[in-house]
This record gives sequence, structure tokens and C-alpha cells, in this order.
Amino acid sequence: MYEVDGTGALLVLFLIVIVSIFALFFPLAFIYSMLFGGLHQSSHQKKLLVREKRVAQLVGGDNIHTLSRPINLENISQCGLVMTNITVAPSWWQLFIGQIKSIFGGQIQSFDKVLTYGRAEVMQRLREQALGEGWSEVINVRVETSMVMNKVKGGQQNKLGTLEFVAYGTGIR
Amino acid sequence: MEIMTSNTETIPGFKITKSLGVATGSTVRAKHIGKDILAGLKNIVGGELKAYTELLMEARTEALGRMMMDGAQRGANAVVNVRFATSSVAGGAAELFAYGTAVIVEQE
Repeated sequence: MYEVDGTGALLVLFLIVIVSIFALFFPLAFIYSMLFGGLHQSSHQKKLLVREKRVAQLVGGDNIHTLSRPINLENISQCGLVMTNITVAPSWWQLFIGQIKSIFGGQIQSFDKVLTYGRAEVMQRLREQALGEGWSEVINVRVETSMVMNKVKGGQQNKLGTLEFVAYGTGIR
Repeated sequence: MEIMTSNTETIPGFKITKSLGVATGSTVRAKHIGKDILAGLKNIVGGELKAYTELLMEARTEALGRMMMDGAQRGANAVVNVRFATSSVAGGAAELFAYGTAVIVEQE
């Protein structure tokens, strides 16, 4: 009969633990994503709305616009580039739903939500940075989408669906 | 002397007196694997991935700084019409590129 000594039993136990962690991690993470992903994202969205209101009250309107000429300012002494970015990705659950929906085509609301949030957040950051750096107005604002992290793996699409938004404009004072 | 940058064709309130050619700046960055794994975990609930945001911002700032240095070497006091371009190089690296026109401006 094969006899199991102390170290052998420990090794077997260790292997069982490792395997069960790997086997359980993905389903558990998926369920966590389903339950808390939406909550996590909507809490960030609520915070964003509060910040937007605060800046709107502070400036009395909006301090960024897409025109190439200043609206209110007459005498300009200085200008400089203002730039902010954000990287967003849909949760595992949203990715899963999106993949299922893309079989039939049509609007995919789960991705919509993430992208809308990303754009709104990056514009808000631009407003806050302009205020922080003391620019009185930001003109010629552009919002760009880059998929730097999406294409990196040897030309293959990264499955995470990571997107980067960049907003930049010319701050004047 | 501080170099002014702008993504408009002219700086409002200033007059361009001389053009000194195209100023460029670029940097190639790769993410490190620890950050990659952490970002994958963060991805479970979705939303912002702070590690990538910071990495890309750092790289863009660096590219912009190099562009301004190039402009300064040409003797400019402003860089106008600044644009950004990104491209992905093989092996998980991304190139961030900033370019604009180096000019000398005078207050009107």
C-alpha cells in the first residue's frame, strides 16, 4: 500500500487549494460583476452629476466650448493646452450581455452606458482642471477616442474592450 | 521663458510674425504586467481603469513636453495648432505623438 507522509499530504492539500481557487474565482467574479457592477457604475455617475452642478454654479454656465474664438474674454495675456483623459471598460457582465446581443444586432445598451459615462467624465475633468489651473475659458475643445490598449496584442483585439477618451482644448486668461 | 501652446490656428489676441516649421515630440510606453493584471481585476465591475488613465496621461504629458522643447530649440515662443496621434507598436507598447507649428507671436 502507498503510504502518505506529512509533506506529501501537505502538497496534495496545497494543490487542491490552488485548483479550487482557480475553479471558483471566475464564476464568483462573474456573479460579483453581475450583482455589483451596475451599482458601482451608477454611484460614480451620481458623483459626476453632483460635480457638474457644482462647477456650473461656480462659473455660471460652462467654461468650455468648441469655438475657435473666445466668447467673453477681450484681453488675452496667456494661453496653454489643457488636457485630460480617462480609460473606461465595461464590466464582465456587460461584456457578456453585449456579446449575446451582438448576435442579433441592434442597440447595445450595456456598452452605451459606459461610453456615455466616459465622455461626460472626461469633459467634467477638463472643466475642473481649467478651474484648478486658473484658465477663465477653454476654447476649441476636442474629444477624441483612442483604442491604444485595445490593439496592442500583436494586432489582435483585446477582449477587455478598453477605451480611452481624451479631451483637450486651449485655455486662455 | 514659457512657451505657449494652443490647438487653435492662431492665438486670439496675438499676431504670428514668423513660422519656424513643425515641432514634434513622441514617446513610446509599455504597460507593465502587474498593472495589467490589476486592471483586469478592476475590470470585473467595469468603469474607470485608473492605472491605464495615469499611464497614458503621463506619456502624453511627456510627448507634449518634448514637443515644447523642440519648439524652444527652434527659437519659438509659441506652438500653435497642436495635434495628438496615437499608434500601437508591437509587443504591448503604444506610441504617443504630439506635433504643432512652432511660431513667434507678438501681442497685438
